[in-house]
Amino acid sequence: MSLIMILYYIISAYIAAMVIWNFLHEKKNANDMILYLLILVPLLLRILRIK
Amino acid sequence: MTFQVGIILLVMVAAYAVAKAKKLSVELSIFAAALAGGIAGAFVKTPPIADLPRQFIEGSFPYLDVMLLFSTATIFMAIISESGGVNYVVRGTIRLFHNKRLIALFILMIIVLIPGALTGAGSVSLLVVGAPVAMALKLLGISQKRVAAMMFIWAGLSAAAPPVNIWAMILCAGTAIPYVGFEFTLGIPVLLLGTFTLFVLGWKKEAAADVQTALRNMPEAPKGMTWWRVILPFLVFFGLIVASRVWPFALPIFGLPLEFVIAAVVALLVSPHKIKILTLSRDTMKRLLPLLATMIVVGMLQQIMTATGVRGLLSFVVISTPLILLYVLLAVIIPFSEGVLTYGAAAILGIPLVWFFDSIGLHATVAIAGLSLLWPLGDGLPPTALIGRLSVMVSEYKGSYWSFIRTAWLPWLVITIVGILMVVYSAKLEFLVRWSM
Repeated sequence: MSLIMILYYIISAYIAAMVIWNFLHEKKNANDMILYLLILVPLLLRILRIK
Repeated sequence: MTFQVGIILLVMVAAYAVAKAKKLSVELSIFAAALAGGIAGAFVKTPPIADLPRQFIEGSFPYLDVMLLFSTATIFMAIISESGGVNYVVRGTIRLFHNKRLIALFILMIIVLIPGALTGAGSVSLLVVGAPVAMALKLLGISQKRVAAMMFIWAGLSAAAPPVNIWAMILCAGTAIPYVGFEFTLGIPVLLLGTFTLFVLGWKKEAAADVQTALRNMPEAPKGMTWWRVILPFLVFFGLIVASRVWPFALPIFGLPLEFVIAAVVALLVSPHKIKILTLSRDTMKRLLPLLATMIVVGMLQQIMTATGVRGLLSFVVISTPLILLYVLLAVIIPFSEGVLTYGAAAILGIPLVWFFDSIGLHATVAIAGLSLLWPLGDGLPPTALIGRLSVMVSEYKGSYWSFIRTAWLPWLVITIVGILMVVYSAKLEFLVRWSM
């Protein structure tokens, strides 16, 4: 895996971490909670390299 | 077969309407439409019910790179704003060009165009630089209503401006056309139309504040901020883009998200005060939630429309419409589709349109550029009206929403005409793409 590829995995992981943080701290708005989960689908699958 | 697909389309439209009636967000309404379409399609095994989860997961992927770009570009702009760079530049513009009004207006326009051009979202322009620029415009003697109208048109154009144009990216991804050749094809019309808006809405001067009063009323720039601290991150970013063009075989392909990350690190290092990057990133991701979610649900909707045959049906409708009528209808259907579906409109309506234009000998890249000038206008139309509402908010305009939209009628009309003419004469404008390569 090239260095640039690794950097892109790190970027994806960073963004996923921010989204997870926001999801865990979102207590009231169900709409936003669902949207956070939707965003996480491709990010987590990419980080875990699941096709 | 057409009847079945028509029923599935009706189910999707009904699901969207019900979701909106239940006051769900646009993103969840689009998701509901995709889900309903998938379930309706499963009754006739297009796709089989067991395939539905795979279709949804696959549909979440096409715009992953756009999501990364959105996120990294907006975090970069948020760092510039948080470091005080935006306030510093706006104050500097007023101090230096207070008596040279047109130059000041032109620089303020460029300041609004940059964040949207880099992130592909006009809303980011308004959120990052909207408030100080709107204040500067008012201090230059422009009425609140006109300020709101100018901010709306400029923010819309910023979203269409290169290097990042989300509508064009969606269209290119959906039609297998490379996302290249848009720099001049979009850059020249955006600058000309932005300047036209500047003259139409900014020429008339009401009571302007003197320079000292103006500067006193504007937010302070932090101590230690200098021009080079503002410019250096942008130099790094554009330097990386230019370098990859000049030495294509000597440099690795970084890609825009990584180039934004490198520029963001530089912006962090040269900031005159410490920035809490984790807090800023979390807040930025919260602000980006609707835009990122739109990317995901649009991909899912597109996947379901393909699997059920609805996309083919819409393409058939597009190619069956008489050409002249289609050109005229662009002025209405493109902005209205944006108002209802936001970026989803590019995937649903835009992709069949581009296929059709390509098949009749028009130049696809120029046609995409022309269409993507029309979509931002829809960001002032309900139910979403994202840029319109934000423009009213940052300019603190208290009048009726439609009166401010009416103020922008002339730039709106000219942008519409330019966009449609770019589609019609796209083959003749092909030289713009060549210049950009």
